[in-house]
Amino acid sequence: MNAVEWIRFIVGSILLVIGMVILFTEVFGVFHFKYVLNRMHAAAMGDTLGIGSCLIGLMIFSGLNFTTLKMFFVIVFLWFASPVSSHVLSRLEAATNEELNTQCEIYKDVKILERELAAKREEENSREKEDRLS
Amino acid sequence: MEKELLYHFVFITLLILLSFMLLVCLIRAVKGPRVADRLMAVNMMGTMVMVMISILALMLKEGYLMDICLIYAMISFLSVVVFSKVYIGIYEERKNMEGENPDERS
Repeated sequence: MNAVEWIRFIVGSILLVIGMVILFTEVFGVFHFKYVLNRMHAAAMGDTLGIGSCLIGLMIFSGLNFTTLKMFFVIVFLWFASPVSSHVLSRLEAATNEELNTQCEIYKDVKILERELAAKREEENSREKEDRLS
Repeated sequence: MEKELLYHFVFITLLILLSFMLLVCLIRAVKGPRVADRLMAVNMMGTMVMVMISILALMLKEGYLMDICLIYAMISFLSVVVFSKVYIGIYEERKNMEGENPDERS
């Protein structure tokens, strides 16, 4: 093995190890969190970054041919598909869970949330003004 | 010859680690208290199987396995979308049935 092949091997292995660490983090996070909408946060990470760095490592191993192009297509497809499937899953959870308000805050109307946020902002502004005057 | 052995060692190690993680994902799919948990675990298993297929494509030097990987990605995405749509439909139908005749609850 000459120097170029060694460099290719080492760079590819490092990328593969990074990908495996991210996939492990995904599995760990799915068992660590307590609710589906929290778990989804950990699970969506491996779909794009984990498989992305694994496949880039394999692309460096395989060199320039059609296999590399197909791996690139898999990564691009998952970039589009993973957010859509997460969105559909969270819609399923929000539609079928009747006790969702025990897990997170729910606003019946967006205007209530907007009013609360505006009130908070005004309070902060007035406090800043008082600080500047004193 | 030395190079072949080195690559083979790396690929075998990765495949063993990935198959252990696949088993852990299966435990989540069996345990998961809600339907969304199970679907999410199936999606994760699909991602790991995709990595395994592309490792095998390089290990066995069979380029056509990457076509299978692409089709696997599409089918696993489609299955998640279709299953969640179907489950929302079933849930609403069941709710309507319960609203109409509350005596015949099984």
